[in-house]
Order: sequence, then C-alpha cells, then structure tokens
Amino acid sequence: MARWALISGLRGDLEAYEAIQEDLRHTRRVDTLFVLGDVIGPARNCDALLSRLQQPRRGELRPQCLYGWWEDQLLAERGYRGGRRADALRLSQGETAVDALLQAVDPGHMGWLAELQFGFIELDCALLHGSSATVEDSLGPDSSPLLLLDRLTRMEVNRLFTARSGQQFSIELTGGGIESQVRDLEGQRHQQQSVPKRQVIGIGAGVHYTIYDPGTDRFDFLAAGSRSQERARGFA
Amino acid sequence: MAHAVISCLHANHAALEAVLADIDQQGIDTITCLGDLVGYGPQPNEVVELIRQRAIPTCQGCWDEDIIEGLNACDCSYPSQLAERRGHLAHQWTADQLSEENKDFLANLPMSLRRDRLLFVHGSPNSQHEYLLPNMDAFAALERVETAEADTLFCGHTHHPYVRELRDGSIRVRVQEGVASGGPSEEREINLPVRRIINAGSVGEPRHGNTNATYVIHDEQTGTVEIREVAYDVERTCRAIVESGLPAIFAWRLRHGFEYAERADDASHVCER
Amino acid sequence: MSQTLLISGPPGCGKTSWILKRVQAHRGPCGYLRLAGYPDEGLAQAPDGGIDLAYLQDQCPRLLDLADLDQALAPRPEHLLALIELPQFQPPTESGLGGVDRRVIPQLEALHLKPDEHLHFGRDTALPRQDTLDFSSLQAWERNLAGSVWDPASLSSFWFELVNGAYGDVYRAKALMNLPDGRAFFCNWMVSQEGSQFLPLQALAPPDGRPERLSRLVVQGKGLDPAAIEVTLADCLLSQALPHSFPSA
Ligand SMILES: [Zn+2]
Ligand SMILES: [Zn+2]
Repeated sequence: MARWALISGLRGDLEAYEAIQEDLRHTRRVDTLFVLGDVIGPARNCDALLSRLQQPRRGELRPQCLYGWWEDQLLAERGYRGGRRADALRLSQGETAVDALLQAVDPGHMGWLAELQFGFIELDCALLHGSSATVEDSLGPDSSPLLLLDRLTRMEVNRLFTARSGQQFSIELTGGGIESQVRDLEGQRHQQQSVPKRQVIGIGAGVHYTIYDPGTDRFDFLAAGSRSQERARGFA
Repeated sequence: MAHAVISCLHANHAALEAVLADIDQQGIDTITCLGDLVGYGPQPNEVVELIRQRAIPTCQGCWDEDIIEGLNACDCSYPSQLAERRGHLAHQWTADQLSEENKDFLANLPMSLRRDRLLFVHGSPNSQHEYLLPNMDAFAALERVETAEADTLFCGHTHHPYVRELRDGSIRVRVQEGVASGGPSEEREINLPVRRIINAGSVGEPRHGNTNATYVIHDEQTGTVEIREVAYDVERTCRAIVESGLPAIFAWRLRHGFEYAERADDASHVCER
Repeated sequence: MSQTLLISGPPGCGKTSWILKRVQAHRGPCGYLRLAGYPDEGLAQAPDGGIDLAYLQDQCPRLLDLADLDQALAPRPEHLLALIELPQFQPPTESGLGGVDRRVIPQLEALHLKPDEHLHFGRDTALPRQDTLDFSSLQAWERNLAGSVWDPASLSSFWFELVNGAYGDVYRAKALMNLPDGRAFFCNWMVSQEGSQFLPLQALAPPDGRPERLSRLVVQGKGLDPAAIEVTLADCLLSQALPHSFPSA
C-alpha cells in the first residue's frame, strides 16, 4: 500500500516546500501529499507558495490541502466567515499582525482558499489542522488524554493527525476505563466502558513532516533535507 | 440546601405554574432555569413574564437564541422534512408573538450560570444545540464537565431527565515526542475525577413517555437528586394551542406525551456551522 | 378445471392478503377483479382506487385483470382461478351462492364472470377468522398521490399520527407510496390488527424521478379531518427540487 506524506505550517515558505518535495522524490512509495493547513502566515509574502500549490511542477506530488488557523483568520477578515472577523489574531497579536496577513496574500488567491475543507477522513484516520472540535484546537504531547479521547470519539476514527501545535508527537491510548451510572424515570443502569485503542499524531510544521504507511500503521517523523538519517534507519 | 432546576418550558404556561407550585410547596426558594422558555407552545409572553416576575436566574436555550438570532438550528438537527417544517412554523409564530421587551430579555440571557462547582447550561458547555444524552460516550460526557471545570453539570435540551455519575475512570497513554522515530516513549496513567451530569428534563414539552412535567431537586449537602414528575392541566394548554392558531396536531401530540417535532437520532451531532 | 370465487367481507378483514396467498399457491393462471361495493346506510365504501390490483400485480406480474373488457371477451385460459373481491359490511342473508348481493350480478355478467362459490369473512370457516368490528357510520377519504414522492422519515411520522388517531378515529388506512430511491411501499393498517404492514413493491421506478404509477391513500373511520391530513401531507411530500433527502432517512 502506498504511503502518505503529511505537512503543515509552511506559512509562505516556498523553499521549505521545495525541500520537502525534493525529499519525497527520493522516498519510495509515497503517492499522496496532504497539506494540513497554515500554508500562509503574516511573516512573508505567500503568493509564490500559493501559486505553486495550485500549479504543481512536473514530477511533484499534487498536494491535497485543508485550511488551517491562519487561512481561517484571513478568510474571516476578508468576509468569508459571516459576521466573524480575525478577532482571535487581533486579540493575540494585534492589528499589525492582521495587516501583515492581509498584505501577505494576493486577493486573487481568496477563491482557492475559500474552497479548502476543514478535514479529510481517509480509511480510519481523520486528517485535521486542529481537531474535530475546532481549527484552533492545539493538541500536543501534554494535552489531557480525556480531551484527546473526546476529539477521537467525535470523528469516530482510530487515528487523528493534527498540525496546529506544530509539534511532532504520538500519543497512543493503551488502556483504562470508566464506570457510568444513569438513573432516570425508568430506573437505574450501570455501564462499564473501556478506553478504545486509538492514537493522536502531531505531524510537525515547516520542514518537519511525517510519513505514514496505512498498510503497516507505521509513521516516521522527518525533517526535510535529512534523508541520510532516514536511510541509516533502513526506512527507504 | 435544596434547590430546584427547571428547563425547556416551551411556552407552556399551565405546566410552568404547576411546577412552580410544586417547588413552592416544598419550601424551596432557589430555582435555576436552563432555558428554552419559548418554542412550539402557545404562551411565549406569559411564560417569559412569569420567569421575569419571579426573577429566576436563567441561561439561554436553543430556542431563546434562535428566536433572537434567526434560525440557528441546522437542518440536520431535524430528522425529517415534516419535523423541520413544523419547527420553522413554530419559530415564525413565536417570533411574531413575542413582545420586543421579552425578546430583549431572551437576547440578554447568559450562556451559562455558575455557583461554585455547579455549572448550569442548556445543551452542553459547548453549545445550546448539543445534546448530552444519557447513553452518550462516558469519556466524552466527562470531558464536557471537566473542560468546563465543574463537579456537577446541570443541563436540559434533551427533555429526558436523568442523573449520571461518572467514576473510577482512568486512561493509560504512551507518549512519544520529537524527531527521532522509534525513539524513547513514556507511559502515563491518569486517574479521572468523579463527576455528575444532571438533566432537568422538560416542564413544557415531555419526551419521556407521558404528559407530566419534569424537573429536578438537588440537595447540595447530601448530594441527593430527585427527579420530580408533576401532572398539570394539559387540556388547558391544548385548548390554547388550537385557539392561538398553532396547528391542531401540536395539541394532539402534547396530549399524548409526544414531542412536537421529533429530534434527530444522532443528537450528539453538532453542526459545523 | 377453472374456478371463479367471490370473496366478500368488511374493510380490513384480510381479503386481499388471502387472495394473494391463493394466487401464489395456484399453479395455473389467475385473474383478479375488485368490485366497488355499495354504501350501506351511513357506511361509505372506501374507494380503493386500484391499490389492491396494483399491489397484487406487482407481486404476481402475470395476474390477469378481469376488469379488462378485452380479456373478458377473449377465450379464458384453462385452469383459470378467477378471484373476485367485494367489500361488504353486513353478512349475507343467505348461505352459499344465494347470499351474493344481487346488485353485483349484472356487472359480473358483463365481464363474463359467474361465481362458483361465495365466501364471506366472518361467515365461512374456509376463511381465517378475523375480529369483526362494528362498522356503524363509517366515513371514507382518499387522496390521489400519483407523481408525488415522500420524505421517508416524514412518512413514518405521518403514518404513526394517522393510525394513532391524530386526524380522527381511523379504522382502516391503506396506501401505495413512492420513496425517493425509486421504491414504493404498500402500507396497510387496520384497527383490529397489531402494527402496520409496510410491504415493498417488486417494481422500482428510477430514483429521484416522479413516478407516474398508481399511488394513493385511502382512509376509513369516524370524525376524519381531511384538511389537517392535507396540511401534513404538504409537509411530507418532497418538493419539485428532487433529489432531496434527509440525513437520517
Ligand atoms: Zn427544549
Ligand atoms: Zn433546546
């Protein structure tokens, strides 16, 4: 079975994207490239990367993109989210960050950005920028296991790939349970529930990306440009 | 101290009067209302005014929100076209009837109320539209209470009164961090706290099998919860439904203990609006 | 040897179901005719509007329509089992063929049909025993639904309300209804029997179209409220803008 490459958090960095594409050209059996949002950001002009994602070069994997937190802020500020504006960004980083974000993306790209989806479901995996709750949900190695379990339950999937925290991590739910007692007008019921075997995977950001093999359920955290490392581990 | 929690009055004045009388009779003077003052029933103004007059602390229900904001309930919360059309009709009728003053009151209701470690919401801490059903995934249910930093969560919206205790919970995890794949991993186990969800049922639109109004009494000292059923003059409300020009089928459904319009099977679903 | 049977009985006693069993058990050709019946004092005979024939023909595609004059005049096939259904509230005054309602005879003669045997539900032990109801002052109401398609979840709510008395005291409800996936259902309910029958027809129409085949609702009872039924129907039938379906459908 073919493998997936999962990337996020490029924030306009075309060089990082090219480095990943270059990496993937030399990695066997990767046939799908998922971009889990944050292709834009306020720090640099993002037009070149946006054009490239829409028109891949020959020999490049065609990216399948979601919107991330930064796209959501821009879409809101440009009126694509009903009455909502980029309030979260304004609150956390001020008006200058909002202006910088508006400057960083040519309005001609808005149509393409507005078409991006919130998430993909592939096999028994959910691919999301944040979580099944919201795009801004930042899951990391220190997140409460109860919260992670809730986010997995909402999508009814076994694996959730997330990007918002920018970290590369894996949290496997390996055991545990809970007792529940319900009393209503009909009487009382007892219920014992076990923790299902499920997993949340942080895919990283920028040059840090993840390769996942759905056939063997194996994943690898990589950094673009460090292929030698990979070969050393006998991965390819 | 014992306090009463009521929810989902749905413009049923006779039912509200009967429930308040039942509470008064027990000498309880702390009442909290979890919203849905209006919707489907024939006396929206009377019910809102009675709540205002008695100064009962109230949080905003899904109907209270929608009447102000315009229909917010997504189509997917209706299981059928028939239920959806009836819902829209009731919405329109209620919006036309409500006085500006009463609309203002509904518009300014808070999303939640908090007293120490007790939290009062209409649907769930996330949304007035989310259903916390008694058989909902126990971890997801606990997550709602935990994330909201409460010990006991009072909710309504399902019209099905219940008390649920979640205890002896634990989750074991294996955490792996960093760039190096197959690197060191760490095992952790967390023990989950005991938490309770108390659903107050519905005063004005039963969905529990008979026509009685339901609400709950909670004693903070002893921790006991009593689910109360109160009979009321259903025919009075049915007559008012017909006289007000609402569809006669609403009266028939109320008289037989059926909700006005069925709700979706997958009620835990929250629409990504 | 051919046989011609006249089956009569009050609405909902199970005439059509019994006829279907006979047809399915018969090796040779079968024919079917449904007579309209006569309104006895204050008792409206529900116009069947072809629901029974359409359902039987769907289940047994080779069933001959004995009301078809061309078929009536053509030579009858050998070993034909001809079944004639007659809605009739009151038990016949005489036993055997002598009890056949005189008024049906000219109609049968015109179709070249002469019953060899008459069986009445509630009288003849050859037929299953049914709870017979007191059918005093029955009202009937029907609605042509040709070309209309139901939202399936709405159909089940409406049927639930209908048979539980939301639109008057219903004794009998019978219908052929189209669903958006191209299926049609024969819906059948009788106050004396537990539960409703929902039987899918064999024949499918193209999904998301407006099937022109027979579709009809027939209701018998007391104090019926046709205006209220119409209001609910309007909320249950899918609008022109097909396809349209609800998630939980
Ligand atoms: Zn409610
Ligand atoms: Zn509600």
